[in-house]
Amino acid sequence: MQRRTLTRTGAVAGAFLLTASLAACGGNLGGDEESSGEDFPDGAVTLTIGQDPGGSTDLIGRALADPAAKDLDESMPVVNKPGANGAVAAKELEGKAADGQNLMVINASLIAITPLAVSEDEVVDIEDYEVVTGISQDDYVLVANPASGWKTVDDLIKSGKKVNFGTTGVGTGSQLSSQLLFNQAGVAGEDVPFDGGAPAMTAVLGEQVDVASIQLGEAYPQIEAGKLTPLVVFSKERNQYLEDVPTAIESGYDVPVSQYRAIVAPKGTPEATIDRLEEAFQAAFDDPAYQEFNEGQLLTPHEISGDEVVKEWTEARDSYAALVEEYNIDMGDAS
Amino acid sequence: MDSISPVIDGFGVVMQPENLLYCLIGVLVGMLVGVLPGLGPAATIAILLPLTFAVEPVTAIIMLAGIFYGAQYGGTITSVLLRLPGEASSVVTVFDGYALARQGKAGTALGIAAIGSFVGGTVSIIALTFLAPLIAGFALDFGPPEYTALALLGILLVATVSNGGRLKAVVAACIGLLLATVGRDGFTGAERFTFDSLSMADGIDFVPIAMGVFGLGEILYNLEQRDAASRPPAKVANVWPSRKELKQSSGAIGRGSVIGFVLGILPGGGAVLSSLAAYGVEKKVAKDPSRFGKGAVEGVAAPETANNAAATSSFIPLLTLGIPANATIAVIFGALLIQGVTPGPQLVEDNPELFWGVVNSMYIGNILLLIMSIPLVGLFVKILQIRGSILAPITVLITLIGVYTVANSTFDIFLVVVFGLLGYLMKKFGFEPGPLVLAFVLGSLLEANARRSLILFEGDVSGFVTRPISGVLFAAFFIVVLLPLAAFAWRWRKAADAELAHPSGTDGTDGADDDSATGADDTTDRGPADTDTPVAHTTRKEQP
Amino acid sequence: MTEPAREALTPEELAAEWEESKPPAAGPVANLIAAGAVIAFGVAGILMSLSLGAGSLGEPDAGSWPLVVSATLTILGIALAVRAGSTHDAEQFGRSSLTVLAALATMVPFALVVGVIGFEIPAALLAFVWLRFLGRESWRVSIVGSVLMVVVFYLIFVLALGVSIPHLF
Repeated sequence: MQRRTLTRTGAVAGAFLLTASLAACGGNLGGDEESSGEDFPDGAVTLTIGQDPGGSTDLIGRALADPAAKDLDESMPVVNKPGANGAVAAKELEGKAADGQNLMVINASLIAITPLAVSEDEVVDIEDYEVVTGISQDDYVLVANPASGWKTVDDLIKSGKKVNFGTTGVGTGSQLSSQLLFNQAGVAGEDVPFDGGAPAMTAVLGEQVDVASIQLGEAYPQIEAGKLTPLVVFSKERNQYLEDVPTAIESGYDVPVSQYRAIVAPKGTPEATIDRLEEAFQAAFDDPAYQEFNEGQLLTPHEISGDEVVKEWTEARDSYAALVEEYNIDMGDAS
Repeated sequence: MDSISPVIDGFGVVMQPENLLYCLIGVLVGMLVGVLPGLGPAATIAILLPLTFAVEPVTAIIMLAGIFYGAQYGGTITSVLLRLPGEASSVVTVFDGYALARQGKAGTALGIAAIGSFVGGTVSIIALTFLAPLIAGFALDFGPPEYTALALLGILLVATVSNGGRLKAVVAACIGLLLATVGRDGFTGAERFTFDSLSMADGIDFVPIAMGVFGLGEILYNLEQRDAASRPPAKVANVWPSRKELKQSSGAIGRGSVIGFVLGILPGGGAVLSSLAAYGVEKKVAKDPSRFGKGAVEGVAAPETANNAAATSSFIPLLTLGIPANATIAVIFGALLIQGVTPGPQLVEDNPELFWGVVNSMYIGNILLLIMSIPLVGLFVKILQIRGSILAPITVLITLIGVYTVANSTFDIFLVVVFGLLGYLMKKFGFEPGPLVLAFVLGSLLEANARRSLILFEGDVSGFVTRPISGVLFAAFFIVVLLPLAAFAWRWRKAADAELAHPSGTDGTDGADDDSATGADDTTDRGPADTDTPVAHTTRKEQP
Repeated sequence: MTEPAREALTPEELAAEWEESKPPAAGPVANLIAAGAVIAFGVAGILMSLSLGAGSLGEPDAGSWPLVVSATLTILGIALAVRAGSTHDAEQFGRSSLTVLAALATMVPFALVVGVIGFEIPAALLAFVWLRFLGRESWRVSIVGSVLMVVVFYLIFVLALGVSIPHLF
């Protein structure tokens, strides 16, 4: 009995000392009380990233957090909770208080493409969140080694070769875009998944595979240097950074695949809070430093409203599912 | 040679006082962060990116590169003092580094590590300056089959790091390979051994496994026998390595530099493989291999030299091909993008002073580390004079808080506790944790590349041997595996013949007896009866 | 505690001494249990790999590689079982092994509450238990030590480096 009392005394003493010396520092745990939206923001607004630090989603989140925090006049710490393409972070956000103090940068691929490759209970539905705003669009480009002599998709088809195509992983836009293209073009091909963009690109450079679908930001320096030939981009419209490269749709294939990102808050966050947040991120979008960042990363701004994001992503999900069904594509276990 | 002048200009850039200051700050921050195992250099650099927006690109990158180096050395410090390897490439350092620390020679281990790192970095940067264009294509020739062969050789080397029973070492390695398969399969998207937990979907991180089976397992084991094994060394003597120890490890440092430079060129896994290979080579060339794992200075010098040489030469793919070789360099170059500099094949031509500024700052970072080690090592080793009963909770807290920062999730804390228990049980039952952790690190490299190769070969395994580089590597693999097996079979037959002549000889249960000729140099091995698995012979010199 | 004259010892002698001070070796039963655990692990791996599907050489499925590794593990486990009688590197469990269980028990509550109430209080409590009860330090050392550890951690990782551990203050 005495032991326990003393243990508690020790803890209380410890807690007291800490309170006394560091009371001004403030914790990062956040309260749970209900919010009406009027007193927002109340303390730090946490921005969670569902990917590893250093990836493009992470860099985008960090580039936005600074100017947005300035507009809100509160700090905006960025926290990485990587796992399952962001599903871990998304599921966790669902359980957070709907007061706007917790936000997340979410990927369209998690909503629209991942469901094609994983089991039912891992699927994340955009309807389960309040979308604050869309952010930007990141395009996939199909690249080949110049040694192949291919300049367009037609060259590739005419070669009559069995094509080994590298992708950045299973259940990614890279895999979906190349599968769709080669199935529609009737090209015999083998899907070779790599662990991310850099290894897939290295494999094309070293002629280990014939082509690969890679995010533009990663492939661009090599395209500039003439070490990779861009065959098509998979966006709906031509990409502003690669004006000369046709889209797959122009070339006659129904492959509209891009990566989009958006800011979401837990379902039920008051409208006034969402509006305030949207205002803050609008201010961030107007920040010259952020615009420079977009250009440096070859991102196309896609700063659409929350409702438009929901509509666009849901449509994309349904159309991908229909296309995968139509062309009998194997994306993973779920199909 | 016009390739030298930008290099010298690069040194001029680094030597500016402001840049030196930022380099120093970076190295210090890196060292502190390196103590917390979960927070790798890539994550730290990403977190500190906003701090660099205000300064010149070169200065920013110099600071970030300093973090990279400091964190590596911080990881070495915890590996040696607390048995907590923060990075996969310093796992091998744990074996002899920690043994040295327990003998009161932590200063020797840390000093040798700093000197080795410095030499490895120096050799590598000189080679990089002159050889980079010549070996540009080397990395590109390494496709999936070549990585498969390399990973197989690596797994084979894993067996050489262990000192105990070989059979148990192989069992531990297999468990490591199996743990590496946990998570979503990168080829089919199928969930493997995740038990429907989203937290496991990306597999298990290296940090909870290494912290658990090494650090926590050791603490738990010592807790049980506080009076015996966990006593702090009576005195923490000779902070700086003696002349004899320096001489002893000079060969290891030389070989480690070369191995590190060559393997570091390969993107992905280069640093881990090079530290492992350097350790394996040292054990092979040593007159008395049994010293390894019990505090051999070469066992610290070789891997620490190699992983640093590899870190420097990993800039070659970037320099010549525009490919970032590891996550940390990828983040550093993400930072360049934000600064408006496009990294890629043209970076060296367009921005030579920036490129060489970065590379040389890593070099300066090494010198700073070397200079700082002299006073700091003396400070660090004082930690060992703390009583075990006080050091234990500190280590536990570093471990628990450190693994949390891997993915900011409490799930990893539970994982490290589970692996701590596993590490403790392994120690109790005579299994060494080293092979488990190293096999875990190499496991996904091996599996992914083997399967990728098979897809490319359409199932035709002969493809592995018809490609020049992978053919040579596989030939090396089979020579290493088959020769000792053949020798074993030959001796076994001889033993059988002898038994025919003397029917009263050994019975079937202890085939270990025919091993006595080679087992003699392993006098302190526990369980001599355990040493006659075929793999054992791959690491021994056969005695004629 | 009797401290041997340590300065005179070479690394080899030290290693030998640690070897001697080890608890007594466990008998064949413990070895059999370890081998059994390895076999069970291997067999479970085989079964789960088969349910994932092994595929073919040209198109290896998700279960192919784990199947190979699990099968190897099972065979090695059987080999361990066969040699259980002639292996001497396992150690007996004694009463002091219970402290290990106690130590593990302190970490579970830490993991459970750290996300809710921050690391400070659980860390101080954990350090206190380790110091006072597992380490048998004095009350004073235990209280001061545990508080000091948390303060230093806070200063370095929260204040100086801004690491994102949950913290109350």
